[in-house]
Amino acid sequence: MSGTGLAVLAAALVLTGAAAWWLRARDGAVRAPARQEEDGVRGPAAVLGDLGVRPGEADLTVVQFSTAFCGPCRTTRARLQHLQATRPGLAYVHVDAESHLDAVRELDVRRTPTLFYLDRGGAVLGRSSGAPRPEELTTLVDAHTGPRA
Amino acid sequence: MSQSSTRTVDVRGPRAAAWVTSAVLAVVLLTASGWLAAAQAAVFAVGAAAGLRYAPYAVLYRTLLAPRLGPVREREPEAPVRFAQLVGFVFAAVGAAGYLLGAPVLGAVATGLALVAALLNAATGFCLGCELYLTVRRVVPARTA
Repeated sequence: MSGTGLAVLAAALVLTGAAAWWLRARDGAVRAPARQEEDGVRGPAAVLGDLGVRPGEADLTVVQFSTAFCGPCRTTRARLQHLQATRPGLAYVHVDAESHLDAVRELDVRRTPTLFYLDRGGAVLGRSSGAPRPEELTTLVDAHTGPRA
Repeated sequence: MSQSSTRTVDVRGPRAAAWVTSAVLAVVLLTASGWLAAAQAAVFAVGAAAGLRYAPYAVLYRTLLAPRLGPVREREPEAPVRFAQLVGFVFAAVGAAGYLLGAPVLGAVATGLALVAALLNAATGFCLGCELYLTVRRVVPARTA
């Protein structure tokens, strides 16, 4: 029996528990965007505009950054496409993060999926990382797009 | 690669494999066995290089466990899981090297980190390597494009 090993095993169990708790609390939670427009610094709305995001065309535009090696990205994408089919006020833009690494750096996207939520005026309402819980995503979309069709 | 990127696996397979991996890594820590860590690294290497059809724990799952479970209800793409095997391989290989080359603390820490990732995956389905892939790609210059 290794003493160091036992200590590391205990630490690993504690760390796993803490990480699971943190992810549960944070995954999909909508936060204020880290950076807004400032003098000389491009805000997230401008960067997303360069990617072809046109928030003026819908009540709520959701932009999703994904990578090929991301299981939850596919689930989230399917969920948003389903919501888009039933809610005309919702626009959905999917961005392959690997093909747009400059934007990824500028927006400080670290994990996938990362979602940006924009209103019709082009203001970034918030962002979230990790797969959002289905009911929370539906509630958020409904709150900004009005009643479903 | 185009074929493997669309291949899917029963979601319960990787979760079951993550439990086996967690148990093996816990035994590595308790016994400080570099050879067992090396064996786990080899298991990861097969999964990452040859795909999950040949990954030893996936084969065990398919032959022993899957026939006793109900029909497959959910499938997931293979690519993320395979990438995670590669991340697991790096940590297990560093762990094995640490133990076998006389740096047991390095071996234990690397094995411990692999255990955290495996246990998190087994218990919650969260794939640490997959989510941090973009973080790595941000700092590592693109090989293509």
